[in-house]
Order: sequence, then structure tokens, then C-alpha cells
Amino acid sequence: MAALKPLLYVFVYPGLLFLFAYGTFCEWFDRKVYARLQNRMGPTHTGRWGLLQPVADFVKLMAKEDVVPEKADKGLFTALPVVGLAVVATAMLLVPVWHVSPTASGFNSFSGDIIVLLYLLSLPTLIFFLAGWSSTNLFSTVGGTRVLTMLFGYEVPLFLAVLSPALLAGSWRLAEIAAFYQARPLLLLVNLPAFAISLVCVQAKLERTPFDIPHAETEIVGGTFTEFSGKKLAFFRLMTDIELVVSSGLLATVFLGGFPGGVGWGFVQFILKTLFIIFLLSLMRAATSRIRVDQVVSFAWRFLAPAAVGQLLLVILLKGFMP
Amino acid sequence: MRIGAFIPELLRHLFKKPATVDYPFKKLSPPEGFRGTPYLHPETCIVCRACERDCPAEAIEIVELSAAEKRFRLTIHNDRCIHCAQCVDSCPTDAMRMDDKYEIAAFSRWDLKAAWEYVRAVVKPKAPAPAPAAPAPSANPPSDNG
Amino acid sequence: MKVQIPIGPQHPALKEPIGLRMTVEGEVIHDADLRLGYNHRGVEKVAEGRSYIQNLYLTERICGICSHSHSTTFAQGAEILFEIVPPKRGQFLRYLVSELERVHSHLLWLGVAGHEAGFDSFFMYVWRDREIVMDILEMISGNRVHYAINTIGGVRRDIDEAQRTKILDLLAVLRARTSFYLNLGTTEPSFVGRLAGVGYLSKEDAMSLCAVGPTARASNVPRDVRKDDPYGIYDEVPFEVCTADTCDVLGRTVVRIKEVLQSYDIMEYLLRNLPAGPVAVKAPRRPKPGEIVSRYEAPRGENIHYIKSNGTDKPERLKVRAPTLGNYAATIAMLKKGFIADIPLIFAAIDPCICCAERSVELVDSRSGRPSVVRWSELRRMAGRRAARDSKKRNVEWPL
Repeated sequence: MAALKPLLYVFVYPGLLFLFAYGTFCEWFDRKVYARLQNRMGPTHTGRWGLLQPVADFVKLMAKEDVVPEKADKGLFTALPVVGLAVVATAMLLVPVWHVSPTASGFNSFSGDIIVLLYLLSLPTLIFFLAGWSSTNLFSTVGGTRVLTMLFGYEVPLFLAVLSPALLAGSWRLAEIAAFYQARPLLLLVNLPAFAISLVCVQAKLERTPFDIPHAETEIVGGTFTEFSGKKLAFFRLMTDIELVVSSGLLATVFLGGFPGGVGWGFVQFILKTLFIIFLLSLMRAATSRIRVDQVVSFAWRFLAPAAVGQLLLVILLKGFMP
Repeated sequence: MRIGAFIPELLRHLFKKPATVDYPFKKLSPPEGFRGTPYLHPETCIVCRACERDCPAEAIEIVELSAAEKRFRLTIHNDRCIHCAQCVDSCPTDAMRMDDKYEIAAFSRWDLKAAWEYVRAVVKPKAPAPAPAAPAPSANPPSDNG
Repeated sequence: MKVQIPIGPQHPALKEPIGLRMTVEGEVIHDADLRLGYNHRGVEKVAEGRSYIQNLYLTERICGICSHSHSTTFAQGAEILFEIVPPKRGQFLRYLVSELERVHSHLLWLGVAGHEAGFDSFFMYVWRDREIVMDILEMISGNRVHYAINTIGGVRRDIDEAQRTKILDLLAVLRARTSFYLNLGTTEPSFVGRLAGVGYLSKEDAMSLCAVGPTARASNVPRDVRKDDPYGIYDEVPFEVCTADTCDVLGRTVVRIKEVLQSYDIMEYLLRNLPAGPVAVKAPRRPKPGEIVSRYEAPRGENIHYIKSNGTDKPERLKVRAPTLGNYAATIAMLKKGFIADIPLIFAAIDPCICCAERSVELVDSRSGRPSVVRWSELRRMAGRRAARDSKKRNVEWPL
């Protein structure tokens, strides 16, 4: 049983099977909310309320012809989608859902796992850059460089913003941070600015609308994904969906007090809190227009980073006054 | 400058009925006077060939089948038709009319030809004033795909 | 490192084929080159073989968005050649449709600008409200895009009292929505950040490069045929020429929205003062020999038709100068020193209607870049030789 448990974690819950189901559901939710905000219908006909539309998209892409550019590095080009999917799925193991108790540490909960999670979430960016670069297309190359340029903008504010609640909780372990705020829910209010900052940064990390610069359709066609097709594109899309789940799970753990209450209630809380964050992200996507890559960097360093530092200062001062 | 200037408007529409129509399942009806597909009312056609002459797309073709019987065949090449309704305006006897169909795609251009064979009518052309708008068209204009 | 980026002939930012070669260094554009002729249809040649009444519908099909502009320009010219004057009510209705078309074209552009800037919600909302104009047009004319309301000597359809009040009601709705978009488009920070200062075209450049329409007016050049050389009823209708002095894409947006608001005023004037009487006079089939230049302020700028008549029922020559052609030179000036990210916005800001402006085609050798003149028969032979050589593609089969 003890040996079976990790396997269950990896493949069923919160591993690949659950991630596939929940990731596609989140994509559906995002699309539906986005459409409704725009007074449209969104997915309607595949499954009840169009629920199966992302799955149908995935299956369709898996069946499509898979083209590798002649001049591309074949090995790298093929490996990147798989590695990317593996990275984000691994990151999900670290999100403390019901299976992690705040006291006992294990392979998926240890001191410093918040840092590991953040780094695992940074890897997709690098993968996107490599994907753009290795496909040797002009548009992909421009997209790849835009991915990296954006990384310089949002990564530091994201780290500062996510680490300030950890600092206040005095722990580098996600489960402990969540438990700390469950005990003192009022302290969550202190972190509201950091929550706003990290929402913006996660939006940038996920390359969604004000920051969908690396694959801005009207400027550089498909951007990083211009040359990807078939299974590889399907994997990349699934990877983005899972990244959405993991990032919202991270934000919910750190800023919304985690998912206490055992299997049932904890699971419901996980769904509700991540959907709430995805709703906020969708709202941001609907309410803004795409900005330029230089504007991302200047915006991040002129507003986000100072605000994150301010939040950090606030937390340090508060910690000094706290018993 | 106001951050999130669009958000109230967006949220207002979140639970409203969508503005779009679930098209192939629900259909909007075209307004009165919609220019659909032209069809012939052969009882009143006097074969003046005004429609053939004025059609900008040269989509109307009138062939004399028998000079003795005064039999003619009028073909409307709907694959060329641009739905301008000039034939309706040009017709002095109100024989050309427009229906209000808008789903008129076909798999082959030969499915789009509509032909009528008829004997020339003896109707006095009306005064030169433009013909009034066509009455509500019948559901299925008589046609055989010649 | 300088790189050439091909935007077009097929590119998501372009709704029609045109070749834009951008020489970029990093994200900054150093040089731009336009290649036309991908969408040449030979409209002018076809017009020589059609009668005047048929040409009305042909000119209408020069453009899909400003279809009424071209057919009105042609009808205005033809009416002078035929020596007839359309009755007052016909003119009022004709220019009512003109203004409706201006509204629909500008709202379409506004949505496209939103989409090019990645502001899809704005795009969806603007196009949703544009449907009101489309419904009005469909109600008046019987079709959404090619209204075919013009005829030589007036218009083909009349409106009744119920339609008149309905249009007035809908215009009030549209006015409220448009004011909202004017407010939103100039306050949403990410959208303004994308538009402000992009695609700068100074007043001097706009004058010397002969920019037309909203592109010129946004550079503070009050150039509008409706005021400068009033045609039809525009000398009796009160309206203002909207200009902006920011000389950028934001200015072009503001100018267009303000023009839409002006159009509502014009339409309300036309509907409230609609005279009674017939809507058309009967035109003869053959005009007198002669030639005429007809000018018209289309939504995109000045539209010119030159018609030469030789006394037969077909024109001897029709020359069309669509407004987009007048703006190409200014586009090149605007693109230089811009960012790659701004290409779609700058190019879209002139509201390009590419196939309207395609008046010629040039054969350029793709390897040497040298233009050449080739006979039609020779072109066919070349295509045949190429197909024979490329045996792999010749026997290609669709995989399914």
C-alpha cells in the first residue's frame, strides 16, 4: 500500500489523469467565462454545455498530421512538448491538496517546496523559448525572444510577491504556510497587494491576454508555436492548461489559505478556489488589450517590482511587531 | 486613464443572454423585402428579354425552343447570380420575383441552375413606372433542373 | 543584425493579400516595402463591356465594406453624363445609406483595431452593436453588404413612416453605445498604451504624401470632400469635419468615432427633413458623349471615378481611384521606426481595403526581383512547363 500510494499520486490524483480532466475543464471554464463576458456563447455543442470541447480539440490535434521543419533540431523539437508536460505535471505534485498533512513531510512536501514549485513553473517559459528557437522559423524566433524578454519582466515580482506570505508565515513549506493562514485568516488581508501582483504575473507567465505577446496572432502568426502541429501542439496546449491549474493552485494555497478539511471538503475547496482565481484571470484577459513587450518590462519594473518590494517591507515590519 | 474601465460593462453581461444566435439550430428570419433568389412567374412572362439584357452577372438566359409554338426556356444561373434584383426592377410585367431564401449553397454549380419552359404570355405591359415590390413569394418556385 | 520579415501575402493581420516586407533590427522596423497586385480583378476592363446600369452593380463590388461609396460615385458621374438630376427624396435616401455605411465601416474598423491590438472583448462588443446598423441597412435595402440601393436617377427603394421612426429609435441606441466606446477607447490604459504615439504622421507628411480620409484628418489636415467640394445634399446639411492633432493611431481612432457621431447628426437631419415625392427619375439608356470626374468622401477617404462616354450604352473608360491607394505612401512613412508589434495596428489604421486599390498587376521575377512584361499566352506556357517539371506535386493526392 505504501508503495502504491506514490504511484496513485503520480498517475491518478493529483497526477496525470486528474490533471487532464481538470485541466481541460479549466480551459472550458476559462473559455466559457471569457465568452460570456463578451456576450457570446462559448463552447456549446460538444458534450453537455460544450464541456468536452477542449477534450475534442485535444483528440483532434492528436490525430492530425505532425510536421517537423526540415532545418529544425529534430530531437529537441520532439522532446520539448513531452518534457514541458512532465514538468508542469510534476509541479502539481507539490501543491498541497488533501494528501499532505502540515506536519509530516514526504517526497511531495518538504521545506523549500515553494521555491521548487516556482522553479518548476519557470521551466515552461524556458521550454517555450527553446521551442521557438529550435523551430528556426522567423516568427517563432521573434516569439522565442519575446518569451525571454517577458521573463525578465515578470519573474522577479512574482517571486517577491509569492514569497512575502511565506515570510510572514515563517516557513518555506506550502502545507505549513497554508496551515498558518488557516489558523489566522485575518492575516490574509495583509497579502492582498501581493495577491494582485502575483495574479498579474501569473497572467504573464501563462501568456494570456494583456501578455499574449509571444504568440500574438496578428503580429507574428503563431509565435513560438508557428511550426508546431499535431501531437506536439496538443501536448503544448495540455501543458498550458495544466500550468493554469498548477499556478492557480499555488496562488490559492499561498493567498487563499489552502485546502483544509480532509478529502471531500478539501477537494471542493480546491475546485472553488482555483476556479475563483481562473475567473479573475479570465476577467483580466477580457478587460485588457495586448501590450507591447517593452511595455511589459517597463510596467513590471516600474510598478510591479516596487509594489512587491513594498509588500515585502510591510510583511517584515508586521513580523517585527507580531508576538 | 482608468484601470479596468471595461470591467463593469463586462460583468454586467456575465449572466445575460448571449447576443449571438445558435445559428444552424436557431435561425433569424430575414426582413421584409429581403433579396433572396430570383424566380420566374412564367404565366406573365412576355419574353421581352429586359432581364436578360440588364442582368449585371449575365445570369439569365432565354432560349427560343420553338418559334411556331412560341415556346421559350428561361434559365437562371444561380451560380452567377449576384442577387441585385435588377431583373425584378427591369421586368415590365412583374414576372420576375425574389424569394427570401438565404441558405442557397450547393455542392455543385449544376444544382444551382433553375429553368422554366413555357409558352410566351400575352399580357399587356404596365405603364413604364417601376414594378411594385413582389408579393410574398410561394414556398417553392416551380423549377426543373434543366 | 537586420532581418527581413515578410508580412503577407498571407498573414493573420491581413484580411486581404498584400506583401509587406519589413526590414527589422530586433523589434524595430528600419525599412518597409509594399508589394501590390495579389488581388487584381480587372474591374476597369470589365466595366468597358457592361452597360451603365450593369456597371452600377459592378462598381458596387469593387469593395465589400464601402460598396455604396463606389456605386454612388459612379451613379453621380453617370447622372451628369445622362443629364438627369435625381429627385430630392431619392438623394436624401441615397446619402442616408451613405452615412449608414460610414457608421458601419467605422464601427467595423474600430472592432478590427481592437482585434489587432489584442483587445478581443472590445472587438466583440463593437461588432455586436454594429449589427444594429447592418439591420437598418438590411431593412432599407434588402441586403446587409451589397445594398444595391442606387440606380441611375435616384434610389430603388423608398422607406415608409414606420421604418423612418424605427431608424430614428435605433440611432439613439447607437449614439449612446458609440459615446461609450469613445470613452472606453480613450481611457482603458492598456489600449491607449498600445495606440498613443504609434504610427506618427506629421501634418507636413500627411500633406506631401497626399494622405486622404481619417488618416489625413488625424494629422490635423481638415480634408473632407463633403465640405471641400460638396456633392449631393451635403451643402445643406450641417456637420463638422472632425480632426485630431495627435497624428497617431489613437488620433485616427478618435477621429473615426467622432465622425460616426457626426454621421448620426447628419442622418437625423436627413430623416427629420425627408421631403415627399418620387425616389427616382427614369434614365435614358445612352448618355451624351463626354467625360466626367466624380468625387465622393468614402469612409476611408476620397474616392474618385473617371467615366468617359462615347455615346453608346457602355462607358468607354472607367477609372477608379480608391482611397486606400492614396494612403499607401503615408503608410510606409508611418511604419518606419515603429515596432514589429505595431505593424498590424499601423497598417490597419489606414483601414486598408486592398482589393479596391488593386488597379494593376506587375510580374516580378522572384529570384532577380526584376519586373517584366509577359503575354498571357506566354504566362500560360510558363505555368505548364513548371507543372510538368514539378512531378512530385503534380500527382499529389489529398491524404483523406
